[in-house]
Amino acid sequence: MIGRGPLGAPPDSFTMDTITPTRTADPAKTDLPLGLMLAWRVVVAIGLLAAAFGVAFAVGIEVEGTLRWVFTAALGIGGVLAILAIQWTRTMVHRGRATGFFLDYLVAIGAAFAMAQGADLFNGLDTAAARFNDSALFLILIVVGWFVGGFAEKTKRPALVRRIARSTMAAGLAVLLVSMGLLPGLVEFARRLTQADVFIPLAIALVAAYSARLLWSERAASSFGTNQNQAEVMDGFFFVSPNLIGFLVFLAGPLLVSLFISLTDWDGLTQASFVGLENYGRLFSDAAFLKSLRNILVFGLVAVPASVIPGLFLAALLNSKLPGMKVFRAIYFLPSIAGVVGVTLIWKNLLNATVGFVNYGILRATEIVNSLTGAEFEAAQPLWISGSSVALFSVMIVFAWQQLGFNTVLFLAGMQGIDPSLYEAADIDGASAWARFRSITVPLLKPTTVFVVTNATILALQLFNEPFILQAPGPPNGPSNSTLSPVIYLYQNAFQRFRQGYASAVAWALFALIFAITLVYFSRQDEEGVLSA
Amino acid sequence: MPDTPTQQQDRRRRLVRTTVNRGSAYLVLVLFAAVMLFPFVYMATGAVKTPSDTFRYPPKVLPRVPLVAEIDGEEREVFSLDFGSGEEPAVLVETGVAAGLFVDPDNPERTVPWPLDLASETGSTVTVGGESLSTFDVQLVAGTETLALQRNTVVGRFQQLDGDGVTYAVPRTATPAETIDAQWSNFSEVIGLRDLDRALTNTILVTILVVAGTLFTSIMGGYAFARVRFPGRDKMFLAYLGSIMLPFIVLIIPLFQLMVGLGWVNHIGSLVWPFLFNAYGTFLMRQFFIAIPKDLEEAAFIDGAKRGRILWTIFVPLSWPAIATLATFMFLYAWNSFIWPLVSINVANADNFVLTLALQQLGGTAGESPNLLFAGIVLSVLVPFTVFAFAQRYFVENVATSGIK
Repeated sequence: MIGRGPLGAPPDSFTMDTITPTRTADPAKTDLPLGLMLAWRVVVAIGLLAAAFGVAFAVGIEVEGTLRWVFTAALGIGGVLAILAIQWTRTMVHRGRATGFFLDYLVAIGAAFAMAQGADLFNGLDTAAARFNDSALFLILIVVGWFVGGFAEKTKRPALVRRIARSTMAAGLAVLLVSMGLLPGLVEFARRLTQADVFIPLAIALVAAYSARLLWSERAASSFGTNQNQAEVMDGFFFVSPNLIGFLVFLAGPLLVSLFISLTDWDGLTQASFVGLENYGRLFSDAAFLKSLRNILVFGLVAVPASVIPGLFLAALLNSKLPGMKVFRAIYFLPSIAGVVGVTLIWKNLLNATVGFVNYGILRATEIVNSLTGAEFEAAQPLWISGSSVALFSVMIVFAWQQLGFNTVLFLAGMQGIDPSLYEAADIDGASAWARFRSITVPLLKPTTVFVVTNATILALQLFNEPFILQAPGPPNGPSNSTLSPVIYLYQNAFQRFRQGYASAVAWALFALIFAITLVYFSRQDEEGVLSA
Repeated sequence: MPDTPTQQQDRRRRLVRTTVNRGSAYLVLVLFAAVMLFPFVYMATGAVKTPSDTFRYPPKVLPRVPLVAEIDGEEREVFSLDFGSGEEPAVLVETGVAAGLFVDPDNPERTVPWPLDLASETGSTVTVGGESLSTFDVQLVAGTETLALQRNTVVGRFQQLDGDGVTYAVPRTATPAETIDAQWSNFSEVIGLRDLDRALTNTILVTILVVAGTLFTSIMGGYAFARVRFPGRDKMFLAYLGSIMLPFIVLIIPLFQLMVGLGWVNHIGSLVWPFLFNAYGTFLMRQFFIAIPKDLEEAAFIDGAKRGRILWTIFVPLSWPAIATLATFMFLYAWNSFIWPLVSINVANADNFVLTLALQQLGGTAGESPNLLFAGIVLSVLVPFTVFAFAQRYFVENVATSGIK
């Protein structure tokens, strides 16, 4: 028997076998519509198996290559489970309820998805967005309601204020939805219901959802003799299901597909041909790819320290409890809020070789130095973005400038975790600020430092936005490939030259590099005992 | 007990040291703050400049426009010229005045274009730059000078705006008088002509949906991983944790193909539907839920409440800090994402642009008008900056928690 253990305790090993269904109810006495449920189970089993055959032999459905067999296998397993569920439902064991519920749940989601695709609901967001352009101001009502609700506790009659706030928000949402065309949308949807590819999936979805609801109910739980632990397992899978489905469809699935694509020669349109590891072999003799690797290493070696080292010192200053530190922290953090596209475009103008502030600043600074020292320095006026020797340096400036505040805040968070009594002890010993920084802050901050460096390195390795925006409208690889990064190379191969197999190999090579760095990071953290602590 | 002289000295020395330390700390902080803020100041003032003002050299921070004076119901450009007592505003009253370009024999770098009527030939000549030129007594504003005539030219006659002084200069090279003035119309232009309002509302819609969807799935998943026991839970969680480290670029090609297959590519939905699930968010909520005392739900269980109810009525109200932290994280993620919209939304389909894409297009094509680009950037940072002003705590919290992931 498994009880609810203390929180965070190592979980007991769970397998389906440890849960022995206990019969507590007599199937004959149930008030569930047993006949109808059994009939529905049979329909689901036949439907799933038919769909599996349909996909396998592509009857009216176009599914490419390997994916077809994945779908066939999934539907086939579903079908077999559905057949088993018939028997389990007849004998009224919990397994019948659990299997039936999850089959119905998945069938309902699948059918609802097919219905939404058939009725073009997913792309209906375009229409909604067009309407939203005129009605976005109603959002203010919702925001105002939110703020009023936040102040409710400070007023004399919080319950009343909260109700006002809630109704304001509800009214705002209603007005927003109506002005976004909810009603015409519903009418349009009703009209599309007459199409078979909308009506049939909708009917299936409704029946499956109803059946799932029935099986989820307390009534079903007692009829099928579900015990508490079995109920918990059902709850667990149910709660994790939205995430799990998304994870499988949009992350794990594409990841496997990506690995497969990297082993093929594919333009993204026609049939892919399997080439094994050829793409990976080509990487090592591809001058452009090697150049992109070299660029990114040079970039990382400069931009990472440039964004990390000042961050460490700034954080140490910010940690000094002097007045005004929160303001400085907020200012340093602004570039991380503003978004890379905006700030890169600002820097693109600042770095303009002829009228930009950077070159003007260099000129003025040189003049001042010359007039003070009597020297005759020539002011450097680099071409920045368009100069093949300085283009990558321009990217470094933008990257370090944007990353600096983020790193500072990370360091600051790490420093605030250091025991203040250590500093007090050092103060009593008469240690200088620099000595305290060197012998307390830096060593104790090592885990944070390792994380900051790893994080900045991973970001630097995925460099794309800054050179892409700086070099526009020219090609993002910059003058003589000086700002070509692996991600830019990937983008150009995948979406401009339509060599998606080769581009996937680039992606996996880069992933391997990032993964190796992450592993080094974790082993370092382990040495520090952070993970085991 | 009075201090001994050495104690006093010691204290004074320490005070000096602290003051110097604090002063230099603030100096460094202010210096970096200036470096961080300057691009934003430049953006904000650039957004209200005229197009030509953005290309001026030397560059200026504040927006300037040419000064205009109304004379006899007519708008006239105002210049800044010397009438004997420094630069003063003046207007051009006559063009094409026959003049000579006079050169200072003692300083050949200095040339003065001046009407020939105000010069009288002296009869002598002087050699300037290997050329023999005849000299003139020229009645300049400051007084008569003897200069050499280099060649003939034409000048314009300028009338002092606040007096009756008269001076001559070449209108093309005369310094225009300027005043600091903001071109607020840049915003309406960038919204109206470049349709940035559409990109703005699209971004708002996408962000709202992504934040709301991720909060929902993360709260559900986080609760399951934290409090509900089911087979395979911990292995599943480990896989989730690992996927946080997965760079998005590995997924970009298959995800694009998936969007093509589903027919969502080039639609706003492709920016929303795949991004309603976030491993980091699930992780964040799980970490928070796991720290909530167990007694709180025990009582509800005894009352026969179901887990869904317990989650939404007990856990969620207790978790506002974590929810707000996750919301700010997802807000920045959705608002600023660039590479995926770039891949998914066709460049020709401006109706479905989000701000990042619209700005990139504006920056790539509107090279002749950076002022409009700056106005667009101001619009794009307005919402994040406002949210940051109200929820700074949660942004910082988010960074701090990302450090322990």
